[in-house]
Amino acid sequence: MFVTEWNSSALVKAATKAGKKKNALTPMTFSLLHATDFADRLLYNIIPPLKAGMIVLADRYAYTAFARDATRGVDPRWVRELYSFAVRPDLAVYFRVPIEVSVDRLMARRVKLKFYEAGMDMGWSASPIESFRIFQGRVLEEYDRLVEEFGLDVIDAKTSITEQQRAFRKVVTRHLAGAPEEQVEPEPVEATEAR
Amino acid sequence: MTDAIPQENGANAGVRPGHYYGYGIPYLPIDGYPGKIIAIEGTDGVGRSTQIRLLREWLEVQGYGVIETGWTRSTLMQPTIELAKSSNTLNKLTFALLYATDFADRLEKEVIPALKAGFIVLADRYIFTALARAQVRGIDRTWTRNLYGFAIAPHLVFYLKIDERTLIRRVLESRGMNFWESGMDLKLADDIHDSFRAYQRSLLREYNSMADEFGFRVLDAKRKVEAIQEELRRQIGEFLAESDSRPI
Repeated sequence: MFVTEWNSSALVKAATKAGKKKNALTPMTFSLLHATDFADRLLYNIIPPLKAGMIVLADRYAYTAFARDATRGVDPRWVRELYSFAVRPDLAVYFRVPIEVSVDRLMARRVKLKFYEAGMDMGWSASPIESFRIFQGRVLEEYDRLVEEFGLDVIDAKTSITEQQRAFRKVVTRHLAGAPEEQVEPEPVEATEAR
Repeated sequence: MTDAIPQENGANAGVRPGHYYGYGIPYLPIDGYPGKIIAIEGTDGVGRSTQIRLLREWLEVQGYGVIETGWTRSTLMQPTIELAKSSNTLNKLTFALLYATDFADRLEKEVIPALKAGFIVLADRYIFTALARAQVRGIDRTWTRNLYGFAIAPHLVFYLKIDERTLIRRVLESRGMNFWESGMDLKLADDIHDSFRAYQRSLLREYNSMADEFGFRVLDAKRKVEAIQEELRRQIGEFLAESDSRPI
């Protein structure tokens, strides 16, 4: 089993950090930097364990980019083609939560909202919370479209962690039961060329 | 896709100059922007920067507003690209994506505002360098073209064409061969000279194959600096006279 997280590659960390600090990222460079991060992790962290027959748990995948970048006004067709080098996941699970629950949880944690996380770059509201509400609300609408388009498995994330985990395990177990044991993925390295 | 029309003066890949090649940047409509993009392409060591410097002087004396934009020069990406090149972690995909991010940053922050203000943008290399490098590294052609679908078709593309032998002599006489210019990441040869030759030969083949598709104006880079400059000025002068461009 291997875990990989969104936006965690060392390669683009410097640029992302610098860009975020100065609020210098445009929707396009934001999108491209995340794609670069993804490509880096795909080749170093995702494909090798897949080849070794392991299960890769990805904390966010290309769908995050599809939802966020489209909300920022990047052409959705372009983003999909951009990520066509990605390996299609065997199972994609979407933890769905209404925007108000999301806002309440953030408030409860009393964390300071990050500029890009709150979509402040869009200039929709000067208040971070209000900006988050508008921006993430639209991101959630995009996700609903993605559920249809890519057949994501939806888990109700309004419920308690225990309940969510139970539902999650059920989905994963059902999926693994349908897959042959010791399954080794077909070689996906040249995903871009295979198209 | 951007409305495609048959090739016209300076048009490329069926896209009108000054329009996006592909899906474009939806939040930045550029229709009717008065500025012009003039790109100078060619491999390393063909004298692009000298020609651009001379062109800039000539255009400014006539009263045109001019900005220059150059490959990997974005403030956002330059440090990352330098860092990535000095380490061994780049692969062909991240290589291509870092270049594209640099290009996007410069396009949005330098090129588009300049076009809006009616400036002439002199581009020291354009997307064709990226397309050639990606192609030589075996990246899917359709993917790369889509990637640069946010780029704007230049009004003029000059390609400074050089043969392999002359190029090798020039590079050796100036600064020597470096790892990336020699395509050492491709492991074409152990010897840097042999690798350089094989890599640059493949690049030259790619540029040549793009010449028709993108309407390159091909200039012989073996000619004297002054002769090339004269030819550039003649063609640019004609283009500006025919277009609606006026000094600011």
